[in-house]
Amino acid sequence: MRSVSVVGIGETKMGKFPERSLRDLILEAGTKAIGDAGIEKERIEALYLGNYNGSYWSLQSHMGPLGSEVLGLGDIPTLRTEGACATGSLAFRQGLMAVAAGFYDVVLVGGVEKMTHRQTETVTTGLASAADADLEVSLGATFPSLFAMIANRYFFEYGNVREQMAVCAVQNHDNALLNPDAQMHKKITVQDVCNGFPVAYPFTVYDCSLVSDGACFVVLAATDVAGEFCKKRLVEVAGSGHAGDAITMAAKKSLTTFTATLGAARQAYEMAGIRPADVDFAEVHDCFTITQIINIEDLGFFPKGRGAAAVAAGRTALDGELPINPSGGLKAKGHPIGCTGLSQIYEAVVQIRGEAGARQVKNAETGLTHNLGGSGATCLVHIFRGR
Amino acid sequence: MGAHISIPMYRRTVPQRYRLAGQRCTACGRVNFPPKAVCRYCRTGTGFDSVRLSGRGTVYSYTVIAGGGAPPEFSEEARCKGSYPVVLVELEEGPRIIAQLVDPPEEGITVGMKVEAVFRRIYEEEGVIRYGFKFRPV
Repeated sequence: MRSVSVVGIGETKMGKFPERSLRDLILEAGTKAIGDAGIEKERIEALYLGNYNGSYWSLQSHMGPLGSEVLGLGDIPTLRTEGACATGSLAFRQGLMAVAAGFYDVVLVGGVEKMTHRQTETVTTGLASAADADLEVSLGATFPSLFAMIANRYFFEYGNVREQMAVCAVQNHDNALLNPDAQMHKKITVQDVCNGFPVAYPFTVYDCSLVSDGACFVVLAATDVAGEFCKKRLVEVAGSGHAGDAITMAAKKSLTTFTATLGAARQAYEMAGIRPADVDFAEVHDCFTITQIINIEDLGFFPKGRGAAAVAAGRTALDGELPINPSGGLKAKGHPIGCTGLSQIYEAVVQIRGEAGARQVKNAETGLTHNLGGSGATCLVHIFRGR
Repeated sequence: MGAHISIPMYRRTVPQRYRLAGQRCTACGRVNFPPKAVCRYCRTGTGFDSVRLSGRGTVYSYTVIAGGGAPPEFSEEARCKGSYPVVLVELEEGPRIIAQLVDPPEEGITVGMKVEAVFRRIYEEEGVIRYGFKFRPV
């Protein structure tokens, strides 16, 4: 298996852009990534494009060739991936495997989603289609309610951490204030979170991630050829893991551990040859506040049942021992579904290059990204290291 | 429109939706609900005996969906009631299932609370009322 590095990155601002199409978003982020890599477009051999639900929200499928056309990449092979909220990382891993296996030297990986042009009901229906349509959605459940049940079970098993859990949202909003690409630039308090508009008990609107438009692209290259064009610090993909679990939440063995996270993390740590304690910062899937708590435990950063206390003590803040979601996370940077996994990887690369400006993590040499789909049925973990 | 399930598809699953018809794997003996083509526990068994679940169980977890958070076919219900509770129930026979809770206790829903399945109207689509089960406290 060949070593693979990220040699170029580019993203749009995350947000609500009624005047911008899927094409516009792809064009901006893709052009930035190719420019950042300092590479001739002709060297790009394939495109992997993550898009969760353009088929429904924009009646646009077959988005691989659409992307290559928009970016003028010619008649290269393309592939669209879909794995619920893990769609973007799934595209990344396909590109990674293709280069590592020697099929290609240079590939472009992207993620794009446009959601805010549809009414709330249509957005909700499109999101809910990643759950089990027969057994969950048709009985009156939605994603917020599924994760709310996870939260209430967590409270039952480990104690009611409602206020500590709210600190995840507060910290992510704090970090997003320092990120010009973030959708939310608004300081909030624990009281705002706890007293917000109710969505599904115990969640208020502040426990939930955002509905966003956005795109993010990265250029991947075999490390041994990357030096030919890449003038920036090479960021090597040191580890990659991908694991699955039941689509139906009711079929999960435990509600307070995502077994797919355990599996993907184990693979990624093993491939990178590191332990959780070696990670300097992480972008962790925070579709809801409880998800971030459970994930930082499952990733081995904190013992089971202690994640919320660690967050509340400031240990995961930007100046803490293990900064989590320096970008602002899904909660405040934004959650354009198919783009999200790549938006996390973008942050990992920016941090390791030392280009994060006001939100720069000190000594950011090893970064981890964690992306979860559905109620935990798909998980990808990647580890990045500066060279 | 939310989770669209056509009338013929709904009709085909009437035994599980009306009568909690499950299946016992002849290879490992565990109860699958809803019915599966391959046992989800031993992952090898494809032969099953029919069993009717008791409908009795305990609340494994719960939530209360507020007006703004309901799927479209339930949004009218949420608007009328303000909110509605949903529970994840661990049935006596083992499987866990998600359904709405009716007549929630005034002191609040708790994990471990005993419940039983009741036959109820779930929602209406294409002019046909879809019936199924909800739970109520015992």
